[in-house]
Amino acid sequence: MTATAAMGFLIVVLFVAATSPLWVAVVTSFAAVIAFNFFFLPPVGTLTIADPQNWVALVALLIVSLVGSNLSAVARARTQESEARRDELARLFDLSRDILLVTDSQAANASLAGFISRRFDLQYVAICMPHGSEWVVFEAGSNRVTLDPRDLSAAFQNLDGGRAPSIGESVRLTPLRLGTRPIGLLAVSGRPMESGTLDAVAGVAAIALERAQFLDDRKAADVARQSEALKSALLASLGHDLRTPLTAIRVAASNLQASWPDERERKEQSDLILTEVDRLTRLFQNILEMARIDAGAVTQNTRWVAPSEIIEAARSAVEPSLRGRPVQIAADVERLVRLDPRLTAAALSQLLENAAQYSPAGSPIDVHASVGDEGLTIAVRDRGPGVPEPDLPHVFERFHRGANAKGRRSGTGMGLAIARGVLAVERGQIAAENCPDGGARFTMTVPAEVK
Amino acid sequence: MTRTWRILLVDDDVSIQRAVAPLLRSRGYHVDVVGTGHDAVKAVGDKKPDLIVLDLGLPDLEGVEVCRQMRQDTRAPIVILSARSGEAEKVAALDLGADDYVTKPFGPEELLARIRVALRRVSEAEAPTVELVQVGDITIDFPRHRVIRGADEVRLTPKEFDLLALLARNADRVLTHRAILTAIWGPNAVDQPEHLWVLMAQLRKKIEPDPATPRYLISEPWVGYRLVSMSAD
Repeated sequence: MTATAAMGFLIVVLFVAATSPLWVAVVTSFAAVIAFNFFFLPPVGTLTIADPQNWVALVALLIVSLVGSNLSAVARARTQESEARRDELARLFDLSRDILLVTDSQAANASLAGFISRRFDLQYVAICMPHGSEWVVFEAGSNRVTLDPRDLSAAFQNLDGGRAPSIGESVRLTPLRLGTRPIGLLAVSGRPMESGTLDAVAGVAAIALERAQFLDDRKAADVARQSEALKSALLASLGHDLRTPLTAIRVAASNLQASWPDERERKEQSDLILTEVDRLTRLFQNILEMARIDAGAVTQNTRWVAPSEIIEAARSAVEPSLRGRPVQIAADVERLVRLDPRLTAAALSQLLENAAQYSPAGSPIDVHASVGDEGLTIAVRDRGPGVPEPDLPHVFERFHRGANAKGRRSGTGMGLAIARGVLAVERGQIAAENCPDGGARFTMTVPAEVK
Repeated sequence: MTRTWRILLVDDDVSIQRAVAPLLRSRGYHVDVVGTGHDAVKAVGDKKPDLIVLDLGLPDLEGVEVCRQMRQDTRAPIVILSARSGEAEKVAALDLGADDYVTKPFGPEELLARIRVALRRVSEAEAPTVELVQVGDITIDFPRHRVIRGADEVRLTPKEFDLLALLARNADRVLTHRAILTAIWGPNAVDQPEHLWVLMAQLRKKIEPDPATPRYLISEPWVGYRLVSMSAD
C-alpha cells in the first residue's frame, strides 16, 4: 500500500518536472515527501515516523524525486538550447540569403545593417568601417544610438583579445574580420545576444562586405574593359571610315588636276568628291553627337509640337541619304505633344537614314506616328532584308554593324546608338523588330504631355 | 607600250571604283571592276587579267583568302589596297602571293608606280633571263656572282650576294622578312629575323653610298625590304 502511494507521488513529481522549471519540481518533490509522510507513513496524520525503515523509504522518495526533476530539467534545457541554435542558424541562413540577393555593391553595404537588424530582431545595428581617422557607419533599426568615433577607434585599437568592449551599457561591439585581419566593427544593441551568435553574424557580415568590395572591383573592371573595347572599336571604325573617303577624294582631286578627263569625267570626279565630303561630314557630325551624348551635354528643351512637324524636320535633314526612296507618312494630325522636337527629330532622322541604308533603292520607307497617353510613338519600317536574328539584341550598340552591313561602307555603326542616346536624354525608348512580311521596324517612344 | 594591260580592280567601295577606274583607264590600261571576293575569284578565270588591284576589306571574303584563291588560278601580280594600319594582314597577303601594297589613303602616283613596277616584272619574266642587272651605279653579274660599283668590284660574301640577287631579281617589289629569310636561310629561319638585320647592315655598308640613309636597299617598316631600281617617276 505505501509502496503504491510512493510510486503515485513519484509519477506526479516526474510529471511536474517534465513540464515546469526545476524549482517547481523541487518544491513538488518536498511537498510529495511531506504528504507521503503525513498521509501514508504510520502514524498516519502526523509528520513523525515510528518505524526507522520508513525513514529509508522517505529519503529514497526524496532522492528519486530530486534526481528525476534535475534530469528532466537538464533534458529540457538541452532541447531549448538546440531550438535556440536552430533558430539562430535559420536567421543566419536568412541573413546570408538576403546578402546574396543584393548584386549592387552600393546597396550591399547600406542594406547589410538592415538585414541583420531585421533577421535578429535587433533595435540597433551598425556596420562601422574605419576610413582614415574617420568612421563610415551604416546604421539600421528602430533605435538610434550615437556612436562616438573615438570609442570606436579605441575599441578597434584594443581588439587583441578578440572581444571588443561594449560602449555604454547597451551597445556591444564585435570585430568584423577577413581571415584574422579586422576590417571594422559590428555594433548591436536592443537584445542580449550570445557571443557565439554575434561572432557568427560578424563573420557573415564580413563576407558580405568582402563580396561588396568584390562586386565593386568587378564592376570597375567591366567598365574599364568596356571603355577599352569602345576605344578600339572607335579607332577601327575611324581608321576604316576615314581612309576610304580620303583616298577617293585624293585620287579624284588628282584626276581633276590632270589633263585627261573630258567634261563628263570632270563632272563625275567632282560629284564623287562632293559625295565623299558629305560622307565625312556625316561621320564627323555623328562623332560629335556621340561625344556630346557621352559628355551629358545634350539637354532637353521641350515645347508643344505637332508630330508631323518632327517627321518633316527629320526627313529633310536626311533627304540626300534617302536617294529618292519615298517616305510614306501616317501621322496623328489631331493632337500636339510636348517634348523636345530637335532631339526627337534627330533620333528619327537616324532611323530614316538607317532604313535607307539597308533597303533597296527606290523602295518606300513607312513612318507611322501615333500619340497616346504614354506620349509619342514613331515607327519606321523599311523594305530591306530585316535584321539578322543574332544581331537584334545588339543593333543599338555602338559600332555594332550587323552581318548585312559588313563592307557597306556608308554606315558608321553609330547611327542607332546615337538614336538610343538621344532618346535616353528624353527618357524615351527604342526597339527593333522584323516584320512578319519582311523588312525591319524600329519603334521609338518618347514620353510626353499630350493635348 | 604596245600591249594593252588588263587590270582587275577589286574594291567594294563605289567611290574608290569611281575614282581609280578612270585613272587607270586614262593611262591606257583596260580595267574590269568587281565588288566582291567571289566575283574577283571568278573574274580572274574569265577576264585573265595581267594584274589585280585588290582591296583587303571585302564584304564576303577575307582579303587574305581572296589572295590565296586567286593565286591558284593566276600568276598575275596582285597589288593590295589596304585600309588597315595593322601590318599583320598585309604581311599575310604578301606571304600568300601578293606582290605589293599601297596603304589608304594613297595618292594616284603611288598606286600607278606600284602597278608599273609589277607589270614591268611581268614583261621581264616573259623576256629571256637577264644576266646583268643595273641598279643605279651598281651592276650585278648573276652568272659570275660579281657586283661592280662604278669601276670597282665590290667583294660580297656568298650570303650577301644571295640577298642582293634575291632583291635585284624582285627589283622594286617588296619582299617580306619571312620570304627573304626562307629564300636565304631556309624555312627554319623565319623566326630569326636578326640574321637578316645583320646581313642587311653588312650589305648596305658595301653597296650604299651612305649606309645610314639607304638609297637602294629600302626597308618597308614591319613588312620587309625592297630594292629600288627606278627613280620615283
